[in-house]
Amino acid sequence: MSAVIEKPAQTPNAGRHVIDEQSFTHAAGLSTGPVSVEPYRSPAFFELERERVFKRAWLCIGRVEQLPQENAYFVKDLEIWKASVLVTRGKNNKIRAFHNVCSHRGNLVVNQTCGVAERLVCRYHNWQYRNDGELIGVPDQKHFFDLDKKTCGLTPISCEVWEGFIFLNHQSKPEVSLAEFLGPFGTRYAGIPYFNLDETIVIQADFKANWKLIADAFAEPYHVPSLHPATLAPGFAHPEQNRYARPLSAMAHGIHRHFSAYGNPDYVPAPTSKVEQLVYVQDTGGVLGGDDSGNAAALTAHPAINPTKDRSWSADVTWIFPNFNIDYSTGGFWTHEFWPVAHNRTQWTLKIYIPKTMSIRHRLQLEHYACRWAEVVLEDVTNCERIQRGLESGAKDTMILQDAEMLIRHSLHVLDKWVKADHVADALS
Amino acid sequence: MTAASSSLPPGFEELEGFVSYWVLDSNDQRRAARSTAEMDDIQRFYDAIVARAEQAIVHCEQFTLGQMPPASERLFKLLLAMNHAAIAVEMHGEPRAFDSTWPSAVRITQGPWPHGGRI
Ligand code: FES
Ligand SMILES: [Fe+2]
Repeated sequence: MSAVIEKPAQTPNAGRHVIDEQSFTHAAGLSTGPVSVEPYRSPAFFELERERVFKRAWLCIGRVEQLPQENAYFVKDLEIWKASVLVTRGKNNKIRAFHNVCSHRGNLVVNQTCGVAERLVCRYHNWQYRNDGELIGVPDQKHFFDLDKKTCGLTPISCEVWEGFIFLNHQSKPEVSLAEFLGPFGTRYAGIPYFNLDETIVIQADFKANWKLIADAFAEPYHVPSLHPATLAPGFAHPEQNRYARPLSAMAHGIHRHFSAYGNPDYVPAPTSKVEQLVYVQDTGGVLGGDDSGNAAALTAHPAINPTKDRSWSADVTWIFPNFNIDYSTGGFWTHEFWPVAHNRTQWTLKIYIPKTMSIRHRLQLEHYACRWAEVVLEDVTNCERIQRGLESGAKDTMILQDAEMLIRHSLHVLDKWVKADHVADALS
Repeated sequence: MTAASSSLPPGFEELEGFVSYWVLDSNDQRRAARSTAEMDDIQRFYDAIVARAEQAIVHCEQFTLGQMPPASERLFKLLLAMNHAAIAVEMHGEPRAFDSTWPSAVRITQGPWPHGGRI
């Protein structure tokens, strides 16, 4: 089964718009033909994704701030691994991850989503573990047979941190390190200042569509004027200069990718939008900028951000293969986790990092920001469920992608490689 | 309604009729209230609160965030709900996005502090 239809590029018909050498798709070395929609609707392909992609790739599951002090922990359910994962910050601030499964008879050890504890107790028979995974207490131990506590710790999961982001790998001995996995992306995007880490707005949805449909929705701005006419289009398109919100740049970085979004530099709230005028600090360069705390200058000076240094820049969307986005704007950053549950079900978490509320007016702005975001994602989620029905009907076997949709093409191209490659090294090349 | 029976600070009695529907504890509840309301009701609330918004903000600014007396906190929550009414009035011209489904899978599971809520 293939995610990409291997077909030579079609010769453009005379009179049709020919994409010039500025083409993001050509620059990324991708073909230009239609692509198969099978990866979005096939249960068999979904199982391949589970085994060959999600159980071999490094997956981002959170940030170090979720473990704010020594002995902090959090638990995360990863449906795609059918696993409950425990992440701890132990002595000397070492961050570790384990399967949250008791060595005695397999109960889940920790049932709180987060907390602070040096010792973790499984409540079935009170076996006790230290947060470095060691089994340290077994009630009525003398009635066990040759029990060696040293071999009965929690099962570790490979865990590495990049720029404050925590990544896990399902392979007990990962074929590649996180640095190798991130490749050119990891070096290019190193050293970016992360600010407004005090608080998060979290928006979540559990809905009936393939995980790639929602990832795709955030990978192209072509749909902004049509699907988000009121919530986004005024800030991210321009009736004369950029009607279709064409990206300022779009590039592949190894198996990862980014696009830079246009922002309408002339945007001001309409005179009739009294509340938007009242609550917004209009110095953020984009309607999704929650705040400008002066860190913006360091962000925009970083060579990876807005690489063409276009004045009409609003945000960079980066897509770390397979299912994670980090998006940067002058107002701060936000992340998307797209977690597959079934071929037609996804759990998605959007975390928007915001500064601590400073004043009444600032709080009103943050409320407006959160509800604008929720409205945008309502538009996207509703739409994804419709696409899923459209694709599952079998009416179409392929979809047609334009140049601004390059990231989707690249995603399917990389996915296809991973599904076919017997070794991760081959999938990275 | 007399000032004495109002649950809002003195001077804001005319907004009393909106308290029972629009004073809510979390971002997600305010969003649900707007998404399921009739457009006429959203517009009436919007017109009333926008007309008093500046004075209400100045009133709330007397207090430390998160530590307002109950009457002022209710007024503040009306101001928070004003943002949601604005999504309907200023963006869509209807209670929620064109063609969107409700109830929706989308939830704001954590809103900004204070009164953002956590699910
Ligand atoms: S299963 Fe954990 S103590 Fe028995
Ligand atoms: Fe969208």
